[in-house]
Amino acid sequence: MQNAQRRLASTATAQKLKPTIPLSSVRTFPPPQALKPKDSKSPIFFDSDTWAASQPPPPAAVTAFAHRVGLGKLTTSPKLIQQACTHESITLPYSKLHPNKPLPLTNTNLATLGNSLLGLFATEFVHASYPHLPTRVVKAAVSAYVGPTTCADVAREMGAAPLLRWYRAPNTLLRPAVLHHEALSSVSRALTALVYQERSIEAAKSFAHNYFLSREIDLRAMIKFTNPKKALALTVEKFGREKPISRLLKETGRFSVSPVFVVGIYSGQDKLGEGFGSSLSMAEFRAAEDALQRLYLTRTPPDQLRLPSQTFTGDVFGNLSSLKSTPYIPGELGHAEVNYGSAGRSSIVNPANRTLSEEELEED
Amino acid sequence: MATLTATRPIFRASLRSAQANGHAVFIPQCRKIVFEYCDKWPSSANTRTFLLKHLRSVAEENPHVELVVRQRNHKEPIARGFYINDRDKVVPLNGFEVNGIQKKVQLLLDSSGAKIKPLKRRTIESTTESARGIWSGLHVDELFKI
Repeated sequence: MQNAQRRLASTATAQKLKPTIPLSSVRTFPPPQALKPKDSKSPIFFDSDTWAASQPPPPAAVTAFAHRVGLGKLTTSPKLIQQACTHESITLPYSKLHPNKPLPLTNTNLATLGNSLLGLFATEFVHASYPHLPTRVVKAAVSAYVGPTTCADVAREMGAAPLLRWYRAPNTLLRPAVLHHEALSSVSRALTALVYQERSIEAAKSFAHNYFLSREIDLRAMIKFTNPKKALALTVEKFGREKPISRLLKETGRFSVSPVFVVGIYSGQDKLGEGFGSSLSMAEFRAAEDALQRLYLTRTPPDQLRLPSQTFTGDVFGNLSSLKSTPYIPGELGHAEVNYGSAGRSSIVNPANRTLSEEELEED
Repeated sequence: MATLTATRPIFRASLRSAQANGHAVFIPQCRKIVFEYCDKWPSSANTRTFLLKHLRSVAEENPHVELVVRQRNHKEPIARGFYINDRDKVVPLNGFEVNGIQKKVQLLLDSSGAKIKPLKRRTIESTTESARGIWSGLHVDELFKI
């Protein structure tokens, strides 16, 4: 038991990810290349992992996978789906093992196209749903919805892991090592591109919305502040409201070991946010955070969502789709966030603009 | 960096979303069922009848499942279901009539592959926050005194 516990995590995952083939897909097992002929005395160079990885998945498994994902009627043969499940890292070991056979079709081009499509759909969805969200948070949300980790998770939850054909290529000077989640993420992207290729962009959009944009993300955890009071003051000024003032609403246990203060932050008569804390400054901090989060996280109701991709009608070849497109009414643009704290790592604050009359007075 | 920020950076690889199977589309969790039967023994007789008569209709009704039939002589018949969470469920088919075997196959098709856990003693588990919020003694009309 102790030895099992001391085993490195890397070897444990490598054991789990060793390629396994269902016996139903192999005609002759063990493969003839693995067996030593009786006559010759020369050693045999056979790597079982490479051989297993280069075997195609059984067609029944590929068809079942296509039906599970709702793409059963996309194509008549499972070849396209198989192409979507083949990562480019398989080409080198395959060519070494079967030098005379043609190389299997890989999903690189499809994955790139699918990545672009997913980025498009995710960005417009996030921006239209949360119009006041700061840019850096929009970027983080898009990564959460269609980034590499999520694409790998989606592929795994669809059941693409046993069908994926890849090879754990080591680090070379030209490109980094290929990891399992990297190979898996190419599958879900390639499927999106397949839907676009075989059907239309609207079909690809509904595929993306169903499998990627219906998932749950924690947006609140992506909004972080260094100085929320300052950010709130600048935001309130931008909206043309009164300066924010914090007021103590409730308190208990002030000089005890566990005080609790509830502070509200007001702009005139309107309460912008409320926060609690064990110190007055902490409560004020949380109140400012709360106020900004109430602004940033205002969400367009899903039935009122107007996405620009609604205007895309038709397929790749320019044929208009049979569905009538409703006239597109663009959604309201949210107010851009204040410069302070929005530009990533830069803490540059622009000096306040002077009016012309002030300058004229100074000249005089 | 000249100034230290109070917040921790968010690493791109940690940005992920949680599964919501069924919210928009439902992905059935069973991906493959393997039937193993013996060609001779009488304990596999009902299984053989099922495989010859009813398996085709099961396959037609469930196109998302890969069905495999294996001969395993001098052993009791089983059905092994493989699931997306990498677990498998094994169900022995000896002792059942054909309709019993159909029910067991349906059980495998309906299952999620998760371990059977007792639900009697578990408190509420949810991914969403409570609808009415958590009670606070400071947010009532009269401050709550312990």
